[in-house]
Amino acid sequence: MKTLMIIGFVFLGVALRAQDPKKILDKVDQNMSSENRMFESTMTIHGKRNSRSISSRSWSEGSQKSFTEYLSPASEKGTKMLKLEKQLWIYSPTTDRTIQISGHMLRQSVMGSDLSYEDMMEDRKLTDVYAAKLVGEEKIGDRNTWVLELTAVVEDIAYYKQKVWIDTEKYVPLRQELFAKSGQILKRMELQEVKMIESRWFPTLVIYKDMLKEGKGTEFRMTNIKFNVKIPDYIFTKAALKQ
Amino acid sequence: MIGFLLKGILNDKSRSVLPVIVVSIGAALTVLLNCWLKGVMGESLVMNANFNTGHVKVMTHAYAQESEQMPNDLAILGIDSLVTQLKSEYPDMDWVKRIRFGGLIDFPDEKGETRAQGPIVGWAIDLLSSSTEETRRFNIRESLVSGVPPAKPGDALISHELAEKFKVNPGHKFTLFGTTMDGGMAFRNFTVSGTVRFGSFVLDRGAIVIDISDAQHALAMEDAAGEVLGFFHDGKYDDKQATSVVATFGVKHSDKADEFAPVMIKLKDQGGMAEYIDYSETMGGIMIFVFVLAMSIVLWNAGLLGGLRRYKEFGIRLALGEDKKHVYTTLIYEGILIGAIGSISGTAIGLGISYYLQVVGLDISSSMKNSSLMMPSVVRAAITPAAFYIGFIPGLFSMVLGNALSGVGIYKRNTAQLFKELEV
Amino acid sequence: MLSMQLAFRNLIGAGLRTWLNVTVLSFAFVVIVFYNGMLDGWNMQAINDTRDWEIGKGQLWHASYDRYDPFTIQDSHGGISGHIRSMVAAGRVTPILITQASAYPAGRMLNVVIKGIDPDQRILELPTQSLAQTTNELPAIIGKRMASRAHLKKGDQVLIRWRDKNGTFDAREITIVSIFDSNVPTIDNGQFWIPLAKMQQMTGMTNEATLLVSREPLNNEAVEPWIYKDEKYLLKEFGEIMQQKKGSNKIIYGLLLSIALLGIFDSQVLSIFRRQKEIGTYIALGMTRSQVLKVFTVEGSAHSILALGLGALYGIPVLAYLHQRGIPMPKSADDAGIAISESIIPLYSFGMVLSTILLVVISSTIVSYLPARKISRMNPTDALKGKIQ
Repeated sequence: MKTLMIIGFVFLGVALRAQDPKKILDKVDQNMSSENRMFESTMTIHGKRNSRSISSRSWSEGSQKSFTEYLSPASEKGTKMLKLEKQLWIYSPTTDRTIQISGHMLRQSVMGSDLSYEDMMEDRKLTDVYAAKLVGEEKIGDRNTWVLELTAVVEDIAYYKQKVWIDTEKYVPLRQELFAKSGQILKRMELQEVKMIESRWFPTLVIYKDMLKEGKGTEFRMTNIKFNVKIPDYIFTKAALKQ
Repeated sequence: MIGFLLKGILNDKSRSVLPVIVVSIGAALTVLLNCWLKGVMGESLVMNANFNTGHVKVMTHAYAQESEQMPNDLAILGIDSLVTQLKSEYPDMDWVKRIRFGGLIDFPDEKGETRAQGPIVGWAIDLLSSSTEETRRFNIRESLVSGVPPAKPGDALISHELAEKFKVNPGHKFTLFGTTMDGGMAFRNFTVSGTVRFGSFVLDRGAIVIDISDAQHALAMEDAAGEVLGFFHDGKYDDKQATSVVATFGVKHSDKADEFAPVMIKLKDQGGMAEYIDYSETMGGIMIFVFVLAMSIVLWNAGLLGGLRRYKEFGIRLALGEDKKHVYTTLIYEGILIGAIGSISGTAIGLGISYYLQVVGLDISSSMKNSSLMMPSVVRAAITPAAFYIGFIPGLFSMVLGNALSGVGIYKRNTAQLFKELEV
Repeated sequence: MLSMQLAFRNLIGAGLRTWLNVTVLSFAFVVIVFYNGMLDGWNMQAINDTRDWEIGKGQLWHASYDRYDPFTIQDSHGGISGHIRSMVAAGRVTPILITQASAYPAGRMLNVVIKGIDPDQRILELPTQSLAQTTNELPAIIGKRMASRAHLKKGDQVLIRWRDKNGTFDAREITIVSIFDSNVPTIDNGQFWIPLAKMQQMTGMTNEATLLVSREPLNNEAVEPWIYKDEKYLLKEFGEIMQQKKGSNKIIYGLLLSIALLGIFDSQVLSIFRRQKEIGTYIALGMTRSQVLKVFTVEGSAHSILALGLGALYGIPVLAYLHQRGIPMPKSADDAGIAISESIIPLYSFGMVLSTILLVVISSTIVSYLPARKISRMNPTDALKGKIQ
């Protein structure tokens, strides 16, 4: 029995050593990040009384520029959101106004979801902001995953620590937990329905859950994903908001 | 005999004018003080009721739990049928929808982009329907610093302090950015129709007041509202009545299992109001007692003086052979008549002034220009049922008592002495 | 002097009528003193409590701090250095660091403010020593209002989440080690008080503060870059609320005083009517009309002297008793945001009593004079005959 355990540990140790967490993350970034992309999405928010879905179309370029147009429901249709670096503008067609969201407002939840505007704006590559450490292997469903612990290497970041479960074959995260400095869990994301899109694996359904609040979380489903398409420059201008 | 005496009082100005004036003034002062005291004591109660609690308030269970946070996602749905129902079940009360909300107020530059913005607390009340009492409850006309009250959909009042901070004037437009009932983004354009200063800390820091239907559109609460407030028609909180309304409502509507079932809470059960009510009633009672006592003494004295004034006349009447008892009785009757006339006219005058002070109020704000407290700057009187009779206590009883005491002199002295004392 | 003696003799001689007037006037006198005493006492108590619990003898604010604008908190913190640092070391000022946070008692979310304060400070009455005496990792003290709103009691733990200076989330369980009972709601509602050093460490704001509370006024001291807010500024609202209260109370005791004066007026009218012969005699004996007028005016205003005496007779014991016992106040009265204790000790200042005395004496002299003016128009012969109506 004892021998068996020792063999087990040795084997595990070899397997762990064989994987450089930095390299894993690089591969994940290759899957998850792109020069630019566009996709359509449906966000389902479970409120206390009812659930509702909001669909939108988004374009993004690098990590600094993104543009989202809401398609439904009718009340949100035509609302557009532009993010350039640290700034965020929202345009509403009913009022024909462009409102800048800044400072404290960025911390508010977007449309009652478990995501804040800030969460939406944080899309730096994991390798740019976190140092990774491989801490083990686990199974999620029938998939084998590496468990990486990420610790922030930059200061201006909302979540000091993350724990990421990465599919050992497809190199996509299947679960992500966001922690406070103290180690208190704050948010959890489950990434599911991993599909092959343009020769990369990509999770098309993300379930966000704010762990401090009661509630069922927010589902974010992406369809029609296209990577590295040419996006006209005018998309990322304030003028585009009004069109 | 009454008719004869009345004729005498009316014709003989010297014996009636001064006493009637004194009794009138006394009764008027008593009525006025009663109303004033009730008004002042009830002022923060009234303000609380008008702005916050109503005389009773209906919310959902869930909303009531955290009403401080204005959780409009927990608002009452099917509000119109609920209000209709309340109106038919309790027709002697005024039922109004209210929405309180938080949000961002955003002023555009000429390109329609954000020039300035800030957080606000909003009140949505019925500003526009013709029969609305809400503008009066919010004291809007008197609180206006500039501009006019909202007259059409899309008009809004903003606190004067906010207007100064953002350098806006009536006529300027802004966008309200908030959260709809189901969590979506709420946008709506408004025009500043006027700026207000309510004289209250909470409101004057950053409040906007808009019409309820504008808020319902903006916040996607078409058939919903956070709160329904019920007010007794006479504007006075009556705890007994409120308790019975709450009880009957509870029987019909309460559903402990349903988080979103409506629940009614009376004013006294909201946020520590109970102690305040009891306290102000006691204090007010003591003050009015002291006052009525003081007034009674003064009018008692007036009655005494009135009797003394007429010793000469009594001497003559006794000399002419009138019975002492008859002289005394007529004196008392006259006292009653003068007291009644004085009390009636005094009460009328007192009520008139009180009414004026109730409607217009007394502006004591000049000394508190930059006030930042939940304190009204216009103090008002409040006419209560007691105001209609309280003037008669000193006016009638004391007058008669005074006359009766001074008349004792008629018995004490013999006719000759009275006659002589007055040296006719 | 003669007119004084005469006045009192006449008044006392009038018996019941005089005493009724005097009683009422004494009511007015005592009530005015009581009211003003109560308000002054309240004011004093509120100022003292606020000074002891919240503002000290003045505060040094970070340049962007605004106590009424919670959105300024995020950027209102700065290092304590140089002169200010030595002041802190000398115990002359104590720093407070403020940050916004969310608390999660029982799964609900409350927006709160966390304030870091030196557990060993001696300037404010906050029981900060209980923060020092505990072995708890992250102790906090809260006020009774906060405790009841968040349903927290001593020993409870509650999760709070905040952000450090870079915006990084942090969250920890905080332990309530003490619940304090203060009359000052502004240091209680929605606030957690924790040790300053912990707070600085938690937020990464080493050696920083949002404001500093001073033990003494700092009128001419260089405190840059901090901005000195003196007591007067910090207590501005107290003046306003008292002004408001005094304003409406003036009406009440004004009415009471006018009732008393009405009595005196009525008496004066009667005495002048009844004592025409006396007036005529005075004039016939060589007194000028204005001298006679003076006699009657003094007689009327002598009511006020008697009233002061009578008022003192029962007023002093009553007011002294209230001073001893305090005047109970309702608990919810502090909703206005101003400190109010459960009972107010009324404060009767010499100046206030003196000005009340003057008010009573002068006003009764005026109402005594008004009807007596008739005397100056009297024809002595008619008066002697008693023929004036």
